[in-house]
Amino acid sequence: MKKTLFIFIWLAALHPSVSRAQRNGSELLPAGRMSWPLMVSVQFHSLALPVGNIRPAFANPGLALGTEYRYNRRGNLLQSIQAGYYRNRYAGDGLFIVTQAGYRPHFGPVYADLKAGVGWNYTFHPNTTLVLKEGQWQPAGRTGKGLLMVPLGLSIGYNGPSLVAPFVGYQFFALAGYNPSVPVVPNQLLQVGAHIHFNY
Amino acid sequence: MKSFLALGGLLAFTLACEPLDQNVATAICQEATPLNASYSKAQPIQQLLDRYTRAGIPGVAVAVYTPQEGYWAGASGYANLETKTPMQVCHLQYGQSVAKTYTAVAILKLAEAGKIDLNAPISRYLSPGIRAKITDADKITVRMLLTHTSGIADYTDNAEFVASLLQNPLKSYTSEELLAYVAKQPLLFPSGSYSRYANTNYLLLALIADQVQGDHARLIQQSILEPLGLQQTFYHNSATYLNQPTLVDSYFDRFGNGKLENITQMQRVNVGSMNGDDGIIASPTDYVKFLRGLNEGQLVSAQSLKEMTTWVNDRDGQPAYGMGLEYARLSGHVGYGHGGAGIGAGCGLYYFPARQLYVFIGINLGVLTGGPYVEKAGNLSDELIDLLLK
Repeated sequence: MKKTLFIFIWLAALHPSVSRAQRNGSELLPAGRMSWPLMVSVQFHSLALPVGNIRPAFANPGLALGTEYRYNRRGNLLQSIQAGYYRNRYAGDGLFIVTQAGYRPHFGPVYADLKAGVGWNYTFHPNTTLVLKEGQWQPAGRTGKGLLMVPLGLSIGYNGPSLVAPFVGYQFFALAGYNPSVPVVPNQLLQVGAHIHFNY
Repeated sequence: MKSFLALGGLLAFTLACEPLDQNVATAICQEATPLNASYSKAQPIQQLLDRYTRAGIPGVAVAVYTPQEGYWAGASGYANLETKTPMQVCHLQYGQSVAKTYTAVAILKLAEAGKIDLNAPISRYLSPGIRAKITDADKITVRMLLTHTSGIADYTDNAEFVASLLQNPLKSYTSEELLAYVAKQPLLFPSGSYSRYANTNYLLLALIADQVQGDHARLIQQSILEPLGLQQTFYHNSATYLNQPTLVDSYFDRFGNGKLENITQMQRVNVGSMNGDDGIIASPTDYVKFLRGLNEGQLVSAQSLKEMTTWVNDRDGQPAYGMGLEYARLSGHVGYGHGGAGIGAGCGLYYFPARQLYVFIGINLGVLTGGPYVEKAGNLSDELIDLLLK
């Protein structure tokens, strides 16, 4: 909990305009109305079925950055784009870029996101690999494979007077093309982060 | 600025972690079984093995036996690719599901001793905790487990298990944890109607033997390995039995793109977690000696052997499985024995009665998943059988 609090404070201090906004929050547009916020999140990954065992995920941290475009003035239809990296010592690290369409109902200052989309995930080998070249087995590093990523996410956030709107999210995603005989593998990401709205 | 530095630092931390190195050195060894150096098919077999290891099979070892020509064994490629340790005929190979034949023999020994009734429900022999996890445990018989006709689902088919295995490659599972993946699940088909392979059946047989005899591994040791003098066969005889210096390293084509990972530690933990359905390692000649011993009446009675080789049909009405033995029709010849497929190895142990031929082939590449070399492993096995049965 202390860690989460620290992350939120740290995120709030990220940008001078945010600090200003905290001082003059009432003069600013509500965060929910603006497109192109900076989305920053810390995430935890595991290869698991949806809402499977989440405990191993906390050993596999990562970061993601993104932004979103709101299709309407109410800000409840949106398109996000996010790029991230997670470390997974046993199942392989992942580097991804994903875009998702989302529906965001608001309940006062609290909002929920339901998102789905498509992306690309470069999954690394967890171990160094060997390849056969000119009749000899040679080290080939941990280079992996690019896989189609199909995410489905849920998150809950808070749009307060600050330009920093924290959220927590759960992202399930299937990776297609893992292996010819294991065509799809399930994955999950737990995300904690914030939408940071700049005072343009 | 400080915040961006902190962000960069965190990113660098996540990127800087060491990869998981699972390489375990494999020692060189000396084959104890006298081999026929002038075996008539030695040269074409060796050429075949060499051709496939040049094409990407990491390492392969073969042992054959016929009454006319005795034992011969050959190997090619590497037991450990990183250290370039050559594969030798004496290296220990993973038997994977070949362990089921050993388990079946152990159960039939208990049946011969009157300690188990093959037609009794398994609920009679399982502990209450295990019994409660199995649907219709009072209707499924020991025989149904042996012939894969119980209808119980295979825990290795469970998506949650597969995901857990990939996420936790060094996790050791207890038998109870493995059974939990299929606990209380409905049967896949009415018990006794046909044969459908499921590792869970043989895991349950191991638990039955544990319950009846105390320790199924000791039973296998005393009723199979010791009578046959199989000194290069190891099955759960100690907590560290897989740390044999001459056990091959294991490779896995995770993405099916020809890039191999050394997953030796994962393979060892995985194999060490399995009881009854897997868990055995042996030298190629020891595997052949075991199947010979079984066929030649050194392990079970003629009646029990007859039961083991009475084939039960699969869903398509084709003969599929006896008791711990698979029916095989290869290159137009009928044989029986067992195949083995693991995440880091593959093998086959078969007997072809018409030629009185025994053969074992072991490959240190995982064949459970797909990939170019996995496909080649299948082709190698087929070509070897063709060559031997010509």
